Amino acid sequence: MIYLDSAATTLQKPESVAVASAWAINHLASPGRGGHWPAMAAAEKAFACREEAARLFHVGNSERVVFTSNATHGLNIAIKTLARPGSRVVVSGYEHNAVTRPLHALGVDLRVARSPLFEPEAALDAFRREIERGADLVVCTHVSNAFGFILPIEDIAALCRERGVPLIVDASQSAGCLPLDFEALGAAFMAMPGHKGLYGPQGTGLLLCGIDPAPLLEGGTGSESRRQTMPDFLPDRLEAGTHNIAGIAGLLEGLRFLERRGVEHIAAQEARLIRQIGEDARRIPGVEVFLSHDSAAQAGVMSFRISGRDCEEVGEDLGGRGFALRAGLHCAPLAHESAGTLDTGTVRASVSVFNTSREAEQFIQTLRAVAAES
Amino acid sequence: MLYYLIVCRSLTYAQRTAAALERAGITARVLRSPKSISGEGCSHSVKISQRNLPDSLRVLQRVGLTPKRVYITAGDGSYQEVAL
Repeated sequence: MIYLDSAATTLQKPESVAVASAWAINHLASPGRGGHWPAMAAAEKAFACREEAARLFHVGNSERVVFTSNATHGLNIAIKTLARPGSRVVVSGYEHNAVTRPLHALGVDLRVARSPLFEPEAALDAFRREIERGADLVVCTHVSNAFGFILPIEDIAALCRERGVPLIVDASQSAGCLPLDFEALGAAFMAMPGHKGLYGPQGTGLLLCGIDPAPLLEGGTGSESRRQTMPDFLPDRLEAGTHNIAGIAGLLEGLRFLERRGVEHIAAQEARLIRQIGEDARRIPGVEVFLSHDSAAQAGVMSFRISGRDCEEVGEDLGGRGFALRAGLHCAPLAHESAGTLDTGTVRASVSVFNTSREAEQFIQTLRAVAAES
Repeated sequence: MLYYLIVCRSLTYAQRTAAALERAGITARVLRSPKSISGEGCSHSVKISQRNLPDSLRVLQRVGLTPKRVYITAGDGSYQEVAL
């Protein structure tokens, strides 16, 4: 099986990730819940993970690195801290349901900064227009999970700072894949999964907090136990209940792997691979590829469709031939609406640092055969 | 042996405190605060030796970490708060 679905979750991880998680299951207890060695060793592991994440994403204070169970969890905390029914919330035209569903549930006044695919300047203009109409909050994905479109997040963040509008960044597809500087962005929150570009286990995620959040869950924190309200300090305020310490131990190894490899190096490798796949796929008759001509606007995710073929059938066909890709709407109907693919969906290829040029060649050979049989 | 306990608002804060002290060459250990000094219930403290308190406070001030309270052990096993 050649795995090209890293936008969903990275399947191939550094070996140290599984080793660390397995060791944690057998040796680590609950951080902050005891003074004995297994609890204190767990606390050290969690702290090391926070510190590593703070270094990687430029967060001055590691208390502001909060463990979540995935990016959706972090986005829900962030959105429910800042949005209220009727709040004017501006989002890009490329958001995932992890953003739009909580906003819908809250009953906000949702304003979509619509822009064509792979046009960063148009995206920025759209945000400017919508913010000028009045905005209480901006939520923006850094990279479209369906198309790999890199939104101009630094410019959008600058616009938000200039207008005093809080910004929530969904870094689900960029964390570990593109350089990120949380403090430079000045965002209120940045949410990310641990199991995609950070190469941690599933069930892990991080929320970086630039402002004080409201808890989504209440419960035990191992601190201020006499109080019946949640602590007013981070990370305890957001971390009710027992931690996923096996996941955190694995995530720490994923972060260390990124530090060793270098995010810039990984970004360059993934960009090279996706361009190889995209450019070669483009030459296949009947295959329509969604790939930016501008490398600065394209991450390691791309979509395509085959004329006359249902995207799910193509995904199934490729799966049967040994290639793992995801087809459909990718939980991002808004992105497909923006790209004009809402009715058909697309097939998505997404790479990780563990994919090779040879695998890309094998995929193209197979795609050629699939397209020829259509 | 006499020692000081720097009570911190959270485990992570205690870990940051201990890490800052260790970086400055001061031995520091995170432990759960004794019940009698834990304030609103469970908390964590950083244990340092008696001779290191002045240096520790200087280091913590430099890096912007504020101790919640500081206690010294008394001969009878109880703790006395130290005025900072």
